[in-house]
Amino acid sequence: MTAYEPGRGAASSQRVLLIEDEAETTAHVSESLREAGWIVDAAVDGEDGLERASRGEHDVIIVDRMLPRRDGLSLVGELRARRVQTPVLFLTAMGSIADRVAGLEGGGDDYLVKPFSSAELAARVGALARRPAAPAYERTSLQVDDLEVDRLSRTVTRAGRRIEVLPLEYKLLEFLMLNAGRVVTRAMLLEKVWGFHFDPRTNIVETHISRLRAKIDQDGGPPLIVTVRGAGYVVGAV
Amino acid sequence: MALLLPVLDDAGRRRIDFAAVVRRLAALRAWLASRLVARTGVRLALVQAVAVIIAFAVAGGVAQVAVRLIDQRAVQERVLGEAVSLQDEFVIKGSDHLPYTVNKRSRLWRGFEYRLVGPDGTLRAGRLPPVPAAEGWSKVRDRNADGRSREFLVYSEPLPDGSQMSVGQDLASEARQLAAVRRTLALCGVLGVALCLLASYAFARGVWRRVAAVVAAAHQVSLGRLDVRVAVRSGAPRDDVDELGGAFNVMLEEIGALVGQVRQVSTDIAHDLRTPLTRVRQRLDRLRRASSGNPELLASVERIDADIEEILRTFDSMLRLAEIENGRGMAGPVVADLADIASQVGEAYRPDLEAEGRRFDLRLSPAPVAGDTQLLAQAISNLLENVMRHTPAGTPVRLTVEARDGAAALRVEDGGEGIAPKDHDVVLQRFRRLDPSRSGPGSGLGLPIIAAIARRHGATLGLGDAGPGLRVELVFPAPPRAASPRPEGA
Repeated sequence: MTAYEPGRGAASSQRVLLIEDEAETTAHVSESLREAGWIVDAAVDGEDGLERASRGEHDVIIVDRMLPRRDGLSLVGELRARRVQTPVLFLTAMGSIADRVAGLEGGGDDYLVKPFSSAELAARVGALARRPAAPAYERTSLQVDDLEVDRLSRTVTRAGRRIEVLPLEYKLLEFLMLNAGRVVTRAMLLEKVWGFHFDPRTNIVETHISRLRAKIDQDGGPPLIVTVRGAGYVVGAV
Repeated sequence: MALLLPVLDDAGRRRIDFAAVVRRLAALRAWLASRLVARTGVRLALVQAVAVIIAFAVAGGVAQVAVRLIDQRAVQERVLGEAVSLQDEFVIKGSDHLPYTVNKRSRLWRGFEYRLVGPDGTLRAGRLPPVPAAEGWSKVRDRNADGRSREFLVYSEPLPDGSQMSVGQDLASEARQLAAVRRTLALCGVLGVALCLLASYAFARGVWRRVAAVVAAAHQVSLGRLDVRVAVRSGAPRDDVDELGGAFNVMLEEIGALVGQVRQVSTDIAHDLRTPLTRVRQRLDRLRRASSGNPELLASVERIDADIEEILRTFDSMLRLAEIENGRGMAGPVVADLADIASQVGEAYRPDLEAEGRRFDLRLSPAPVAGDTQLLAQAISNLLENVMRHTPAGTPVRLTVEARDGAAALRVEDGGEGIAPKDHDVVLQRFRRLDPSRSGPGSGLGLPIIAAIARRHGATLGLGDAGPGLRVELVFPAPPRAASPRPEGA
């Protein structure tokens, strides 16, 4: 199994703004994101955060919902009103569906409930940062090593040999390939591939991944879908 | 409702199907019972109407007796007067002249009929049939020319010359009077009942409407809406319905305040516990990185992290349950095809089910349902996980969705040992409240979450025998007709 190195999670010189009033969380988030290659700026209250976010210097903004001086929801609303389109990740203890919906409708792009693992955070921040510039989403064909996904005919081939996959397996593989080189977590897969915003008890993701692996890696070639311990999966670690 | 619709029998004759009539009458009665008699106002009006009918019947009976008495007395007096007048004629003009007088009076028709019988028993004058009593009052009946039967009240008296004179009056007029009295009474009775019903209806209609408003509000509350209030009239003198509405509103305020407090407490707990747990996880993360060279320590860290994960999951489930139960966890209802949702969830679970050697049978036909697609998906997911938890590997599972009278029905059946029917209630109880034993993996909140989602959607939750195995069934109400199914995004 190929080792995954967290240091390669972000392109160099990508900047993230963290708006969080709790010092320990700030320290932890900064540390884990810096390890993943991010340049981290921090703001400790809503007004300060709004001013710095408005400069548009960042690739991703992480916002706590409950902040002194100006709450996170109003901050993002104001940011969008100022036509700053930087992707926003809400990081909050308010985890109800209604809170999530309010966050996403209020201008947030993703929503992560505390307590979170640093791997989950890094994966989601990475996904957000690349989203606007990611040409992969417009490509009709995705390729990692000798594995190819044709998005028009919805077919999968490895080394020129056609592999039959079920519709759900195709969707799963397509999402992994679109995020090639980047870790996607179990929760991200549940949300994006299955559309589930709840947490099933059963390891449905793991089972689907292992079925997909069995089809893709059946020739005994190098494994393409790599499990990242404690984080998720990655296809084609760069 | 065509009660007496003739049908053609085997021989082609038209006849009335009385069994069908009885069935229809029973249906009508049931309909009336459910729609009208169930209303307190209608029952009150009916009781009043019965009272009015009884009162009129008693009054009518008494009046008839009285009228008959008065009338009979008047007839007697008139007949007696006529008899006395004929006696006078006899005294003044003598025995021979009397038949002429009688015939003359008979011709002139003054309302009397006569019979004058000579001492030798021959009929000398008059048209009355033979009178049984020689003296005093009697009644005789005869049949006139056009065959109508008449009854006469007759006074008979022997005359000094040995002949017998009878004077009678036709009682038909009296009978007509009595009939008129009866008709009047009946008419007044019907009018009284109609007025009584009308007045009750006019009075009760307003009250019904206002009580119906309270019932509708209570129904809304039972669906989780605590912001509804009953309209209470201001200004006008408050009656008992206003009192009811007012008390209802006060109760809702109180419940709303309590629920608000509980929610606040939940949010506070969520925040207060999540923050330190976040720190614990962060420290574990750091420890994990620091212990990369120490597999033993790393394994411990992983175990602790898994435990914290489990605590958080249970905690999330509890918050989720509270959220669904108080209605906050629900996105605005959309009309979706339950079969689509079941297909997504079913296919997500298929590999796991089949990995356990189970046959998984997905039987889906379109069934529109109005609700929150995430919650519905979660309910189906919990149902499938429940089967996986409670039946041994290899037990087949079937997930069925079908439309039934426009309503969606979802069934999850397993081929396991099932549950004895007498224990179904006990198991349903476990759906309704937290399982105190909560043994085995998971938080034990799966079933209450299913029940809460069912309740939130107005669905009924039932258990049955899948022969063999257990069947859990959710039947949803038909979605409102105006809404059309919306494609479901993954």
